[in-house]
Amino acid sequence: MSMDQESVDRSFKRDLLAALPNLRAFAVSLIGRHDKADDLVQDTIMKAWANQKSFTPGTNMKAWLFTILRNEFYSQMRKRGREVQDSDGVFSERFSVHPEQYGRLDMQDFRKALDQLPDDQREAIVLVGASGFAYEEAAEICGCAVGTIKSRVSRARTRLQELLGVKGESDYGPDAGVAAVTARAFGS
Amino acid sequence: MSEEEKMNERASSGQNDLQAAGSSGPHGSISRKLRDFYDAVQEEAIPDRFLDLLEKLDQAERNAQAQAQ
Repeated sequence: MSMDQESVDRSFKRDLLAALPNLRAFAVSLIGRHDKADDLVQDTIMKAWANQKSFTPGTNMKAWLFTILRNEFYSQMRKRGREVQDSDGVFSERFSVHPEQYGRLDMQDFRKALDQLPDDQREAIVLVGASGFAYEEAAEICGCAVGTIKSRVSRARTRLQELLGVKGESDYGPDAGVAAVTARAFGS
Repeated sequence: MSEEEKMNERASSGQNDLQAAGSSGPHGSISRKLRDFYDAVQEEAIPDRFLDLLEKLDQAERNAQAQAQ
């Protein structure tokens, strides 16, 4: 093997390692469970390694890895059928390990709301809003048009807002009954 | 889409998020919560199983190459 090939291999491994935390966060976002997400990441690493010759050095390794992980996720889902999401289980597991996590209740609510989104909307808002991809890159990863990604992100935002907004009102806002009484008391 | 359009788009969506966050608008708070959640996972240490796996894959490949030569 030539020195050139060796340095390419080394940079492949290095870049893969560098992308892992982001890739893992994406997997957790898609699946909602750390243990299953890590299984998916492991499968993705194996696939990426086996196909590293098909990766063009110098191109976007992160997007390439995300595409592999996403394809793997959907092909496994098709094979197994989607298991029932256990949001409460996820968080008792996750946050019992990190009880000091700032704003954890808030985050649990958010995680539950994210779980309620359709898969296509969830991946779109995560890729664009958190993983750091431009709309164009997200469209390539998902194999759809840029406009489709934009509308999915927009629908995801609206839905999350509804899911979380309604909760916020009932938690902190005056309830409808009190508001009605107040209106009567101070009305004409 | 041109690079310029891309940049404009990013700039305007960033601005919208900031504006919304400043007024604690729903979009700003959704974006912030999403990033908080995502970053919390991202900041966790890479599990040893992945480091071990990469080490093994690397080693297997070196062995295969050594044999081939």
